Amino acid sequence: MKYLNKDITEINKLLKEKKIKPLDLVEEAFSNIENNTELNAYITLNKEAAIKKAKELEEKEVDNLLFGLPIAIKDNIVTKDLRTTCASHILDNFIPIYDATVIEKINAKNMIIIGKTNMDEFAMGSSSRTSYYKAPKNPWNKEKISGGSSGGSATTIAARDVLFALGTDTGGSIRQPASYCGIVGMKPTYGRVSRYGLVAFASSLDQIGPMTKNVYENALLLNVIAGHDPKDLTSSKREVEDFTSLIGKELKNIKVAVPNYFMSDIVSHEIKDKVMEVIELLRKNNISVDFIDVKYLENAVTLYQIIAMGEASSNLARFDGIRYGYSKENPTDISDLYYGTRSVFGDEVKRRIMVGSYLLSGENAKTYYNKALSIRDDMKKEFTKVFAKYDFIIGPTTTTTAYNLDDKMDDSLKSFMDDVLVIPVNMAGLPGLNIPIGFSKDKMPIGMQIIANDFEEAKIYQLGSFIEKKLNLNLNPRGDE
Amino acid sequence: MANYIPTIGIEVHVELKTKTKIFSNSLNGYGEMANSLTNVVDLGYPGTLPTLNEEVLSLAIKAATVLNCKIRKQMHFDRKNYFYPDNPKNYQITQNRTPIGYDGYVEIEVDDTTKKIYIEEMHIEEDTCKSTHRGTKSYLDFNRAGVPLIEIVTKPCISSSLEAKLYLEKLKELLFYSDISDCKMEEGSMRADANISLRKKETDPFGTKCEIKNIGSISNVALSLEKEMLRQSKLLDEGKTFKEQTRRFDDKLGDTVLMRVKETGNDYRYFPEPDIPFVILTDEMIAEARKTIPMLPAERKKLYLEKGLNEINATKLIQNRPLSDYFNELIKLDTNYKTASNLLLGDISAYLNKTEKNITETTLSPARLKELISFIDDGTLTSKNLKDILTEVLEKTTPIADIIKNLGIENITDDTALRDIIKTIVSNNLETKQDYLAGHDRAIKFFMGQVMKETKGKANPKIAMNILTEELNK
Repeated sequence: MKYLNKDITEINKLLKEKKIKPLDLVEEAFSNIENNTELNAYITLNKEAAIKKAKELEEKEVDNLLFGLPIAIKDNIVTKDLRTTCASHILDNFIPIYDATVIEKINAKNMIIIGKTNMDEFAMGSSSRTSYYKAPKNPWNKEKISGGSSGGSATTIAARDVLFALGTDTGGSIRQPASYCGIVGMKPTYGRVSRYGLVAFASSLDQIGPMTKNVYENALLLNVIAGHDPKDLTSSKREVEDFTSLIGKELKNIKVAVPNYFMSDIVSHEIKDKVMEVIELLRKNNISVDFIDVKYLENAVTLYQIIAMGEASSNLARFDGIRYGYSKENPTDISDLYYGTRSVFGDEVKRRIMVGSYLLSGENAKTYYNKALSIRDDMKKEFTKVFAKYDFIIGPTTTTTAYNLDDKMDDSLKSFMDDVLVIPVNMAGLPGLNIPIGFSKDKMPIGMQIIANDFEEAKIYQLGSFIEKKLNLNLNPRGDE
Repeated sequence: MANYIPTIGIEVHVELKTKTKIFSNSLNGYGEMANSLTNVVDLGYPGTLPTLNEEVLSLAIKAATVLNCKIRKQMHFDRKNYFYPDNPKNYQITQNRTPIGYDGYVEIEVDDTTKKIYIEEMHIEEDTCKSTHRGTKSYLDFNRAGVPLIEIVTKPCISSSLEAKLYLEKLKELLFYSDISDCKMEEGSMRADANISLRKKETDPFGTKCEIKNIGSISNVALSLEKEMLRQSKLLDEGKTFKEQTRRFDDKLGDTVLMRVKETGNDYRYFPEPDIPFVILTDEMIAEARKTIPMLPAERKKLYLEKGLNEINATKLIQNRPLSDYFNELIKLDTNYKTASNLLLGDISAYLNKTEKNITETTLSPARLKELISFIDDGTLTSKNLKDILTEVLEKTTPIADIIKNLGIENITDDTALRDIIKTIVSNNLETKQDYLAGHDRAIKFFMGQVMKETKGKANPKIAMNILTEELNK
């Protein structure tokens, strides 16, 4: 009997009426995952502890919609007593002694952590192929990438293993794989979700967010993880509203902007056509859509590289083999320990540490990093100007659909260009949501992103849900459910 | 040896006396079991983030104030990146571009004139962990990791080892007095590095500088600077050049030893700490922190001298902060301050030292001390009496007058009884009376001794002296 394909309110009802137990859901999730092992979505499964937790929950009252539901966690979010590798050799043996704040929140709602999902090493990449544990595969076509860096989370949701997953988004790492895999992924406003316990890649950009098969479930999971955390000074003190509250409400006097850059030649025709169909749909429903110029969008990737790599070079310095993680055995001296330990980083991580160190070195910090920060401020101002006139910015999430797993791994610049449309959102700290809007000729999902002003996630879900309902796509790769 | 002019600059690291560490809620303590005061933040665990201890800001504002620094109201933290095992994140959170204090000074008295030692800047940072090397092994104790520090950097304006010593003494006094730091150099809560270069004339460019790191005491700072001046001037005399270098002071050798030559400037890849938003110091925060600054030593001394204390007592009182604070309360009352200072620094200090108590832990309120002093000034209590009743005075709340009565040490102030005793003594020592009348001073002391012996010290000395003089001159 399958339950995880049912509507979430129905699952909740069954649990409340004791017609099913959390254990049924956990067993179903593991059975799904085991049937899909070739997708390689997980690095570590939490089977024993998850089953134990499910049994414990039988004694507890079903007090919220997410009670007893399995959830997959990206492997750069630390989980107490559960191996957290960041898909890196250097943390292959790392078992954290504390829980990230989002994990505490998930536990407080009695959700059940099913395992840790595959990703690019330290979230550095956009195809999950820099993983020490080999790349996950796209459920729509196993020859294709799932995207990255939250590739494992996108894969397990698209494959319908579980309903909920957490990803992280530094430069598109939730929205881009969500687009490639045909699922819903939200990068919340910077500061909306605590970063405490997220292994830092680029501190000023990193944000944890929910990945689900539909908009409503996405909003439900954001309700769980959002909120101020005194352990994270960059987390916002802003009150958390119910992110589902606007879903289904009428969209009145809504103005949408589409940056011309988002519909320029960098984007494939197939994708532009699908986005145009959505634009027509909106217009038919009395939502005005304007094409506008937005400054700095084309500079975002360059700025992103400077800021992200600079911060990463410093954030990853702590992996030195002294206190945790891999450590070179019998080093001859301290240099030998450092070199021997840190040589196990993968090529992409090493490349970013080296470039980042260079960018912060001597006068370069002023020439590059500080300048990038100041242009980032200008970029933020530009977005603020747009949002003074418009409720939303929409556009394609990616320039192409998912490419082949064996494509162009050696072109590191190209991999940044995969994220050219998603990175500006991180640079400005804005919330951005990917929703599936259709398929390419070769049956690969196409995604669209909805961007709004800071802390307007609820509004984004309102529009996202509206489009989702109108399009009514079948988003199950197996198509039969 | 030619004469050279030394140019000296000093960097001091001071650990702040906070309850918890700067970026985590671990306790800030010294001498605890290794690694017992640590948590995931101090250990630089993956995923951890710093929080910011407000007490650090308050103490840093205080420090900036007592060092006459300007305060930067909008500041941020920076990361200083370098690999070393004592640096848990392999970056240290510090302030590079926006130090909280800048353009300050400390005044020292040198050769009877006041000289200002200029403070370039003062910034907040975290301490590293403590590493100990034994044989082929190194041990790390993270109790110190994340202890808040302020680093105080002077301009290169110190021109002798004496000035350096006086500056450090003054700095220590100011920071200790303001409850900012314990300033214990032997425990590492105050650490000094000194930079020194020599040149022939004031108009010459600065010479090559050498840095002496981590000097363990103020006297060693002075000594190491002298040794370093000697070493550099010898080289210069011989026409030799040397490279900019870092040295340390070897206690046993009594000289500086080369640690490393500075090839190129260190590249710490500083950038603004993204995990800590900009800190805005409001006028309220600054005013609130400044309120907790006590009266500083220089002002206390001026006040004590004005109140009639001698130089020695004034200095001694200031050296004992709790006693000095107590004295400041006493000054609000009208009493004999000189007697008070003698009492506090004499018998009362002896009692406090013996019982390891603070003056505020005794029953002797300033009002009670005033009462005690009144009995001394009117001659009711002799110094011997005082010793007898002191414990009761300091431990009980019985009024002083009652203590005097109860212990039966009430002095014989009854004239007739005393006069009878004195008359007997005089008549028994007529020879000595003759000596007295012949002008021998010692004679009167002998008589007074006899009076005290006879009365077991209970005679009021003033009255006894009056009667004695009368009787002798009869």
